[in-house]
Formats: sequence, structure tokens, C-alpha cells
Amino acid sequence: MNNREIGRYGLSCLIKAGADKAQCVLAKSEKRELNVEAGKFSLIRTTYDSNMNYKAIKDNREGITRSNKTDKDSIEQAAADALEIATSSQFDNAYDIAEKQESKRFYSGSKEPDIDRMFNRLQTFVESVKEKYPKTILELAILDFTHLNSYFMNSNGVDFTTSKGIYNFIAMFTSKDEERTSSFNYSGFSTRELEKEFLDYGTINLLLKQSSEQLELNAVNEKFTGDIIITPDSLAEFIDYFTGIFLRDVPIISGTSVFKDKLNEQVADSGFTLYSRPISGEIADNYFVTPDGFEAKDSTIIEKGVLKSFLLSLYGANKTVRERAVNSGNVYVVDPGDQSFDDMVKSVKRGLLLCRFSGGYPNDNGDFSGVAKNSYYIEDGEIKYPTNETMISGNLTELFMNIKSISKERVNYGDKILPWLLTSGITISGK
Amino acid sequence: MIVKDLSSCSNYYSQFFKEYTELRMQENREINIAYVKGNLMRNEINATSGVSARVYKSGSWGFSSNPDLNPDTAKSVIKSATDNALYLDSRVKKSEKPLPDDKTLAENDFATRNVRRSQKELVDFVKELDTYIDNKYPSLTSRIVVLRCLDMEKSVITSSGSSFFSMIPRTNFIIRLSTEKDGHPVELYDVTGGLGQFEDLYNSASELYQKVDKIYEHLMNKREGVFSNAGVRPCVLDAALAGILAHEAIGHTTEADLVLGGSVAGDYMGKEVASDLVTLVDFAHTAMGGTCPVPVYVDDEGIKAEDAVIIEKGVLKCFMHNKESANHFDAKPTGNARAYQFSDEPLIRMRNTAILPGESHLEEMIASIGDGYYLMKPGNGQADSTSEFMFGVPLGYEIKNGKLGKAIKDTTISGVAFDMLKTVTMVSDDMSWSNGGMCGKKQPIPVGLGGPAIKCKVNVGGR
Repeated sequence: MNNREIGRYGLSCLIKAGADKAQCVLAKSEKRELNVEAGKFSLIRTTYDSNMNYKAIKDNREGITRSNKTDKDSIEQAAADALEIATSSQFDNAYDIAEKQESKRFYSGSKEPDIDRMFNRLQTFVESVKEKYPKTILELAILDFTHLNSYFMNSNGVDFTTSKGIYNFIAMFTSKDEERTSSFNYSGFSTRELEKEFLDYGTINLLLKQSSEQLELNAVNEKFTGDIIITPDSLAEFIDYFTGIFLRDVPIISGTSVFKDKLNEQVADSGFTLYSRPISGEIADNYFVTPDGFEAKDSTIIEKGVLKSFLLSLYGANKTVRERAVNSGNVYVVDPGDQSFDDMVKSVKRGLLLCRFSGGYPNDNGDFSGVAKNSYYIEDGEIKYPTNETMISGNLTELFMNIKSISKERVNYGDKILPWLLTSGITISGK
Repeated sequence: MIVKDLSSCSNYYSQFFKEYTELRMQENREINIAYVKGNLMRNEINATSGVSARVYKSGSWGFSSNPDLNPDTAKSVIKSATDNALYLDSRVKKSEKPLPDDKTLAENDFATRNVRRSQKELVDFVKELDTYIDNKYPSLTSRIVVLRCLDMEKSVITSSGSSFFSMIPRTNFIIRLSTEKDGHPVELYDVTGGLGQFEDLYNSASELYQKVDKIYEHLMNKREGVFSNAGVRPCVLDAALAGILAHEAIGHTTEADLVLGGSVAGDYMGKEVASDLVTLVDFAHTAMGGTCPVPVYVDDEGIKAEDAVIIEKGVLKCFMHNKESANHFDAKPTGNARAYQFSDEPLIRMRNTAILPGESHLEEMIASIGDGYYLMKPGNGQADSTSEFMFGVPLGYEIKNGKLGKAIKDTTISGVAFDMLKTVTMVSDDMSWSNGGMCGKKQPIPVGLGGPAIKCKVNVGGR
């Protein structure tokens, strides 16, 4: 059986086993990966995998199984298991599958990696780091090319095929000079072609430069309430917290989200606009179909500070009688502001350039606290020195409400596009 | 189902081994059941299996994996991994010496001998627990009850003669309760369970009622809690917090691959890094006469796993190794190489990391503090190559004049572990394990962490 036939067979087994509604998703992946450890090439990996995801709904009861086997016996067993699990499930009218949509095929990126080019690009990167930043050790650098073919089918007639090839890179590094050691830092990017040197992607070069500066640290010796400039790398984390705690299924269904009744109301400063853009042409690492089997569309989550959409799945939408999100989130894009990064720094009386946040997951109320890693103290509009052992605490809702400015500059990581963001009212404390 | 005794086929496979080779067949099986405020939001069974090979050529590794479990696929992944190792060697020519030999034979099977429960019986069990919470504590604004079961079954042969089979299961309940105070949500969760399949750990949902009642009691205290007073304070860190500190802030810095990557521990070997009350061990499989939460008898490179005594009476004594790092440091491999999925290569991972118990009683430790905190549970945490750490603390109490006072709101603790451990002045005489830990380092992996309570000075967040 070819892949499409495997997917169809899985769907037919679910229906034959008695499902009223059924969905089968097959994902076949091939990955080539190069690893560098402690500044030296260490490993090449070639991995193949399959993922068959079966969903059966019978008498408004749902069962899900996943398996990476695609032979007939395994498919029949997994489909039967999904029905058995559905039988064990509770009655719930909210269980459902996507309605019929026009069948489509989506393509992005290459089918095959260029291994020699991968090796050469990574080798150039390793050598460049050694040359430009001799005190910086590449703890780990991973470059992979993943090709993924996915087939989404359900008993309502949904039939989508996606084919995606993407290069992903992440580098993690520490600087060391005799017994002085910096905090580790990391960044990465996704791209469809390896068209330029890795130091020219995302914030890799900026963070390596900062790492080499962070061997000489100073403490912030007191506690004060000040501003923070959140870098694009750390903004990604705060946006994930925001969406996870306030906008997705669990906080809305359980009622713990403080924004559960705030649709079309102000939840952030009017300068802040947040999109999820999985199909955008400016994004390299697209996705085209949601896990529920809907064709993904770009969406506006927050427009000029006003909440325009939750990130509810089909189940979450049915359960809470709200609108389903037109995608499954991520691939976040924030509109640029009108201030340059340099002017942003000049406007700070006292605060931090927050380059990495090492913190506990915020509680349901949005309270967070943690260590400002790889960060810099700012006073009277100047970046003074890199800091150590400096904690910050605040509240997520206040953080986004108190935005003072957003940078003109943005960073495109291939899977998100984010600016620098200046906000106020953060408690900053040294030792 | 994987081949339990790969050694029976080793003659067949060894003809394809051209260089040092590991061949592994592995299956991970998971059950996930989750009730969110009475709604069954997850009811799933997942199974992932396949075969992988890893090949070493003069300092270069090649790896390949495939989900099909049959001899032809095994042969093809050996070839693909060999080709990868040879390609990399041809490009980088590291000329490293051969890896240390191994020849360990073992079979460690923790599968239950009891009759397995059906998925429906498991769902009903979780539902019964959820209903108990709903009936007994109707004023809660939300509740989440999750059952997670993970079986990791693997069979490994190496070209140097090791052969082993292991089936290590884990079962955990996560119970999270939420309430409100002045319109703001307040929540608390706990994780329970550990080594074993469900049937070996639980008979009745009522066995967990006491756990629920305890979480509720602490939640109500926390609801009326006060902000902690920020600054460096004398604290008693209970076992769960001491365990995560041992794992995150010390353990990671002493993994030999991270030492090579620049971790600060590389400068501290043989030096005093903690109070002499502190002995910190990464246990392989047995501690204080009992089986550890994540017992590892042979690692995924075929090395017989042994305890790694990282800190002994305050002095840094060893790093954790795989074969390659042991070669580099001229040390003995400790059996710390582990992979999560069949498609993952083994990495240096901790197993069961704990500080050894001391001689003090918890009560006298609390009584010795005039103004400080008793910090009971960790949230998520992170640590650095410098040993600087930060952990969320979702549950703790004030200590005033030697007595427990009010609960505190969510806070964090932070510091530099190698400095902080020098402030340890008391270690309790008991020991407990946290059994739900998953460590992230390229791949996730189950770990055990635990220990006694310790009295120390630590930077507490707050207002």
C-alpha cells in the first residue's frame, strides 16, 4: 500500500469496527541530522518514522490510539483499540470531527536534503565561532533536515495531503575563560534552503557576541521596580505562557483563565497586535492542517490590544460554545512598533535588557518570577553591564498591558517573527 | 512486541557489524487519561517501537532507525548507521582511540504479574477519583486528574558482547486543584506513583483520597497565604526540593558531556564544593536497600550501571560518563548512557539523583530557624552551566520562632548551587523519592530524584 492507501485503510478499519465518526492521520517522516558537541562534529543520524493517529467516535464517546506501525495487522488492531477506548469513554456531545472541506494538497520546501551542503554550512559555522569568539564553546549544535508527508482523512470526507521539507538549526553555547564561566544561551532558526551562513540567521551572532561579553558579570545590588526590554528570544517564551495560561482549551474549559470573558475586550496595550500565521509566505516552517483536520488559516489573536480569538480546538469550542480557532496557534507574529531598539534603550531610566528568562511556569493568575539570564542592566538610557543572580517578578496580564513601546526591528526565526518589547512595572532584585 | 532475547540472534546480526556497533529494539507504550473539571479530555493509548543502530568509527558516530521491527530492517539500519559513521569519519578524521569494552548480560523485567486492567477500568478509576473530589470539595473552581503510564521495553546487543533486556514501567497520577481568592485563581498540584505498572501500584481509587485531602488542606492554607519576603533566608528544603536541586543544579553540571561543553564543575574536581554534610549520589538502581524509581542495571551502551558518587562529604569526586567521555577523561564508564525512544541515540543522563540522609530530625531543623521558610514542593526549574538555579515553589510555609506559620503564595528560589550547598548545616535522617520526574536534554527521559530535607540559606523570591 502507498501512504494514501495506508491512511484510507486505517479510516476504513475505524468505520468497519463501528465508529460513527472517524479520523485517521498518517505522518511519515525522514530526518537527516548532524550534531556538534563541545565544538566538534560528533554524530550523523538518519531516522525514519511513521505516526498513525486514529480517532473513533461512537455514541458520542471518543477513543484515540497512536501507533508507528503501518502493516495491515497493526492498523486493524489500532482501529479496534480506538473503538474499545471509545466504549470506555464518557458521553460528551462536544466530541466531533471536522466537516467536509475541499480536498487539497499542500507543499513546502525540498524533498531531499543536501548533505554535503549541510556539513559545509555547519563546518563553516563551527570555524567562524572559534575564530570570532575564541572563548565561546559550542556545547551543542544540531542541524537537521526533516521531510514530512502527512495525510489527513475523516469519515466526513476530509482529504488533505501535506508535504514539507525544512531545515532546523539550534546552537547552545557557553563562554569560558579560565575559571570564569558564562551562563549558557541558545537560539535557532528554521529555513527551507541553507542560503546563507548560520551567523546571519535570527539572533545567533548577537547572542554569541553577548555570551563572550558575559564572563564579567555584576550584580544588581538592590530591589526596585523598573522597565524591561524583552528580546525576541525571550518574548517567544512569554507569548507561549500567555496563550497557554489564558487562551487554550484547558484554561477556558476549566474556567481558570482570567480572560475567559474578555473576548473583544482590551487585554494588552493598544500598540500590541499578535497573529498566528501558519500559512504566511514570510514563514518558512508552515503548517497547513490543524490536528482536528481543518485547513489552517492565519488569524489575529490580539488586535491593538483587544482579544479577537481564543485558541480553542474543535472540542474546546463545542464544549464552551465558542468559536473554534482557525489554526492551532504557534507561528506567532507580532506587529513592529515605531521606535528603534537604540531609542528604546535610551528611553529606559532604570531596568534590564532581558535576554533569557529562566523561570517557573506562571500560575493561573499570571504571576511569574525567575532569573534574568544573559541579561544587562540599563540605567539612564545606557546598557551598563551584564548581570548575574538577578531575579524579576511580575504578572503576565500587567506585562502586556504596560507595554511602553515595540521596536521597529523584528527577527524572523522561520517559525515566528518577533520584535523587542519594552514594558514597565517589573520587580527587579539582586542578591 | 520486541524481541526479548536479541542475544539469540547476535550471531546473525554480528556478521553485519563492521565497526563498534550497538543494535537496539525498543517499544514505548503510553496510556494517558485526563479529566478536566469532570470532562474526559484525554483517553489515549500510544505505542512507538522500532529498531536502531549506532556505530562508532574513530570518534565519529553514525545512527539510524526505522519503525519496522524485522531482521531486514535491522540489517538496513546497521548499514545506514555504518555509512553515516564512515562519512563523518572521512570528513573530520578525529582518530580517537577505541571505546572501552563491555560484556554485560542481564534481564530486568518489572512487568506486572497481575491481571491487566482494561482501558475502561482505568477510565472508571480516574473518574471515581474525580467524582470523590467533586463531591467532597464542591467549592473548588476547577480540578484536573491525570493518569499517565509509560512502559519502556528495550533489548540491546553490542558488538563487544553485551546483551540485555529491560522493561521499566512507570505509573503516575497528577492531581491539580484550583480555588479563588478575591477573584484570583490559586492552584496546587501533586504527583504520585512511581515504578511499576498500574496493577502493581493501585487497587482502589480510595487509596488516593488521603493524597487529595492533603492537597486540599495545603491549597486552603495557600489560599490565605502571604507573599514571601524576598532575599536570602534560612530555609528547610523538603526532600522533593532537595532532589530537584541535586538533579538540576549539581547533576547536570557533572554530566561529562556538559563538562566538556564548559560547565563550571570542570574546574572543581577534587575541590570542596559543599558542606561536609553533603554526599550526593546518582544511584543506578538500588539505594538504601530499596529499588530506585528508575532502576538502570545496564545502560544503552551495554555498560553495567554503577552508582556515581558525585559529591562525597562535600568534595566533588566524579562526573557521570558514557563510554566516549570515559575515554576522554580516562575514567570508568558509569552506565549513564540512555535513550528515550528507539529513534534516539543514547546520551549521558542521570538515573536516580539524591543527597544521602544525615542525622537530624525534620522537626528540630524547623525548630532551629527563627525567621525563614519551610519549602515543600518544587514547580518546574532550570539550572545553568554555572550551577545557578531557579525553581518555582508552589507550596511552602513561613517559619517563625521555630514554628510553622502561614502558607506562602507561589514563589521561586534561586542561587548558585555550589555556593548554596556550602551553607547546608543540617540534613534530615529520612529519605523520600519523587517518582514523576522527566528530564529534558535533547530528548526527555524518566528520572528519579529525592533525598532528605536540608537546612540551608537560599535566595527566596517575593515582594
